[in-house]
Amino acid sequence: MRWMDVLRMAGRWVLRRGTAEGELDAELRFHLERSVAEKVAAGMPEERARRVAMMEFGGVENMKEECRETRKGNWLHDMAQDLGYGARMLRKSPGFTVVAVITLALGIGANTAIFSVIDAVLLKPLPLRQPEKLVALWETETAPGQYPLTGHDYVKWHEENGTFESMSLYSWPNTYNVRGGEETAGATVLKTEANFFSVLGVQPAIGRTFANGEDQKGGSKVAILSYGFWKERMGGDRDAVNKTVQLDAEPYTVIGVMPAWFRVPGKADVWMPLDMDKGKLVASGNHQWKAIGRVKSGVTIEQARADLRRIAAGLEKENPDSNRSVSAIVVPMRDAVIGHSDQLLWLLFGAVGLVLLIACVNVANLLLSRATGRRREIAVRSALGAGRGRLTRQLLTESVMLSLAGGVLGVAAAYGGVGLLRSVLVRLVPQPNPVQVGGASLLFTFGVCLVVGVLFGLAPALQSSEVASSEALKPKSSGVGTAGRRQWLRDALVAGEIGLCLMLCVGAGLLLRTFANLRAMDLGIHGDDVLTATVRLPETTYKTFDQGLGFYRQLLEQLRGTAGVNAVAMSTSLPLVAGVNGYITIPGRQAEANTGPLVQATSIDGDYFRAFGIPLLAGREYLPSEHEVAAKFMREISVVKTEAEARELAKKYTVAAVINQSMARAFWPNENAVGKIFNSFANFQVVGIVGDVKQFSPRTLVMPETFYPIEWDMANPNRPYSIVVQGTGKPENFIGELRSAVQGRDASLALMEVRTMPQIVGESMADTQYQTCLLGAMAILALILAAVGTYGVMSYLVRQRTNEIGIRMALGAARGQIVGMVLRQAGMRVAIGIVLGVLAAMAAGRLMTGMLVGVKPIDLPTYVGVAGLLAVVALAACYLPVRSAMRVDPMVALRDE
Amino acid sequence: MSKPTDLVQGTLDLLILKTLALESMHGWAIAQRIRQVSKEVLQVNQGALYPALHRLENNGWIRADWGESENNRRAKYYSLTKAGTKYMEKEEANWERLSAAIGLVLKVG
Repeated sequence: MRWMDVLRMAGRWVLRRGTAEGELDAELRFHLERSVAEKVAAGMPEERARRVAMMEFGGVENMKEECRETRKGNWLHDMAQDLGYGARMLRKSPGFTVVAVITLALGIGANTAIFSVIDAVLLKPLPLRQPEKLVALWETETAPGQYPLTGHDYVKWHEENGTFESMSLYSWPNTYNVRGGEETAGATVLKTEANFFSVLGVQPAIGRTFANGEDQKGGSKVAILSYGFWKERMGGDRDAVNKTVQLDAEPYTVIGVMPAWFRVPGKADVWMPLDMDKGKLVASGNHQWKAIGRVKSGVTIEQARADLRRIAAGLEKENPDSNRSVSAIVVPMRDAVIGHSDQLLWLLFGAVGLVLLIACVNVANLLLSRATGRRREIAVRSALGAGRGRLTRQLLTESVMLSLAGGVLGVAAAYGGVGLLRSVLVRLVPQPNPVQVGGASLLFTFGVCLVVGVLFGLAPALQSSEVASSEALKPKSSGVGTAGRRQWLRDALVAGEIGLCLMLCVGAGLLLRTFANLRAMDLGIHGDDVLTATVRLPETTYKTFDQGLGFYRQLLEQLRGTAGVNAVAMSTSLPLVAGVNGYITIPGRQAEANTGPLVQATSIDGDYFRAFGIPLLAGREYLPSEHEVAAKFMREISVVKTEAEARELAKKYTVAAVINQSMARAFWPNENAVGKIFNSFANFQVVGIVGDVKQFSPRTLVMPETFYPIEWDMANPNRPYSIVVQGTGKPENFIGELRSAVQGRDASLALMEVRTMPQIVGESMADTQYQTCLLGAMAILALILAAVGTYGVMSYLVRQRTNEIGIRMALGAARGQIVGMVLRQAGMRVAIGIVLGVLAAMAAGRLMTGMLVGVKPIDLPTYVGVAGLLAVVALAACYLPVRSAMRVDPMVALRDE
Repeated sequence: MSKPTDLVQGTLDLLILKTLALESMHGWAIAQRIRQVSKEVLQVNQGALYPALHRLENNGWIRADWGESENNRRAKYYSLTKAGTKYMEKEEANWERLSAAIGLVLKVG
């Protein structure tokens, strides 16, 4: 409705504008002529009468402008006029316009790109039905943290709660061997309860999701594909439904394909129905399941949490052993998906905000310099009847035009940049919604343009329109000395710009130091020449312990014989790739079950320690006979029926274990740990102690860790194992040999997660690396902008003082004196900027605490380095204009006066 | 340019409306009429007159039509609208009340 009015008004105005102006002219001319006629009638000569009448009449243009002001729809006319003037002014100084627009485009483009990410990740709701009702379910344990559910607890929660509309269980991601075409590859598979997708409230792009009952009796052999998997493996076949895919050498019928954006609660390639055998689930006491829930309408998440905690408390009473300290953790799905990535995003948003502010300061400075040159134009306009408000509006229109032009260019840049950002951020930030420059981003950018245009345009506009016409119209009013207030504003802008830049550089510097600290950290390994890959044996062909062990033993034997290979091993986890952990007890010590430090448990075979260069500090590695003990135990326990029998059997066995130094120190301080016994289901005897290796990431502490013979972890031969090959030359050189060795034994097997150890190390610090890159890029951008800005202001100031410099030189001042004079003037601003920046950075630095390693947010070397860098850059930016001023011939400078 | 300090804005509006109440006139004639009627006391400056006319027209209190002037020239004639008459009556009453009040105060003083 309002738009219609505006359109109508605009139309009328366009049609009528010509006539209205003509009528005004005619009306005033008529008046003038009557006045002349009257004077002539009174006996005045006509020429004189005309002159007198004109004088009586006063400023015609002024009056016209006042008449126009009263007209309705006039703002539209003014705006069109302002736009016209603005366009003309910007065209007239293309250099200024180009520099200003590019500066703004950089700032606005960066903001648009980062906002697109924030919008997709933090602002938009999850793309699911009523996402605010969805929760992720976890359990507590004696140790702090959140743990997966036991099948038993899930069944009880499901049955006894009164607050959930529905719940759904799903598995940890597992990797399956996919056969298709030439290559065999790995696919991430999630097994879910049949109602999984309806609980989430998401429809497939093609086909259907699981039907009721498909998760019964072992689960149907059906599969739902991710969009990416469907594109890659089935060529995006529209008739994929009812076709089959080979997963772990078994055919699965495709029943549906999920939409491209779907990656909640996590990314997966294939979904399969879980075997929801209630008896098996209730009997399972392992914390191995994940679950989601949908809260009933009218029930808050707090109420649902209280409900589950009540049930958990009851279960704890019933089963004091297995359920001790087990309670419910209910996390809103949004928080579960986003995790802690909001911290990084807001930091980035702050950083691009600072870059934009610096860009604004630069453009404001440019405008101020130009405003001085335009003082006469403004004064003429004001003398011709333009009101102060009108002038301010005119100048603001110009600056908003600039910012909109910058915005258009910036959005174009953001379109390109967002793709890059998406791939950079993919490791750091989950993207539940696709990251793209969409409607919200464009709206945001438009708002930013308006705000920014007013922001950098306001100060110059107010100042310009203040100019007294009488003063400005005097010839040569741009000589020595500038108005105090304008100078003050300019100084503040330079100082502010340097301060903002310093904040960003300090942030980037802190991350850079963190990254350097991580790189320098002792991981406990020498893995530069190690290649690793994952192999998983499908259940259909490898059912027993001996089948599994046989395969791997032969594989390792074959690899050992490969030319150039020094050490070959296999393991259940790798350095920096967290494995499983659990509790141990020590016979004779007063300790309850499930307490004490958690111990990482890794099972290994072959030359694991030698391959990674992990030193043996005491004792020895396993003897072949000790591998045999573990194998014998596994064969016997595989035929045991009840858990009680299994426990009884376990008591009879003592398996050899190698432990790390931290474990020796934690459990046997001041004692020789070699030969000591500990208990974890079976008995273990420590035969050797090896050096500590970081298990999670370079920044986390080393946990106590025990290494078991691989047989201990092959009750299920179908779990994934890592193969480790260390040899001479580049580790990548062995990929081909490794693949042919694996697929030569079984062509249905995929070589998955093929990575060299340096790659794994790199990935473990990828978050810091990307954070450093992103913040570093912004800091460099800010530095360039600040340098350009400072240069612009200084060259303007020096130009203004050219006369003065000429006079001083003519009077015999030494060059050094003059350079010193100008640099002192600049130095003050830079120094104030640095002090302000340091204070602001100290205040803002605390936000980064969680990202830093080995360096405090207030780090003296970083601050000193960054301040020094900025001082050098700023003074260099000052020096160039000074040097050119020195070249001025004093006579020329004086004559100019 | 200087504002008509001799006439308060509202007053000028009232004078124009009152003048137009008799018949429609062009700007020049309005200024002349006010001068004559006020026995040369009130000089209406053109710089104030025309903006005031345009404002009144915009408010819908007067209407403008082009017509022939006394000496066969095209001129813009202003006339009072219904809303203008109402407005004028209200303002006139206001003015009379105000001037009466001022008169009272002055007499007592």
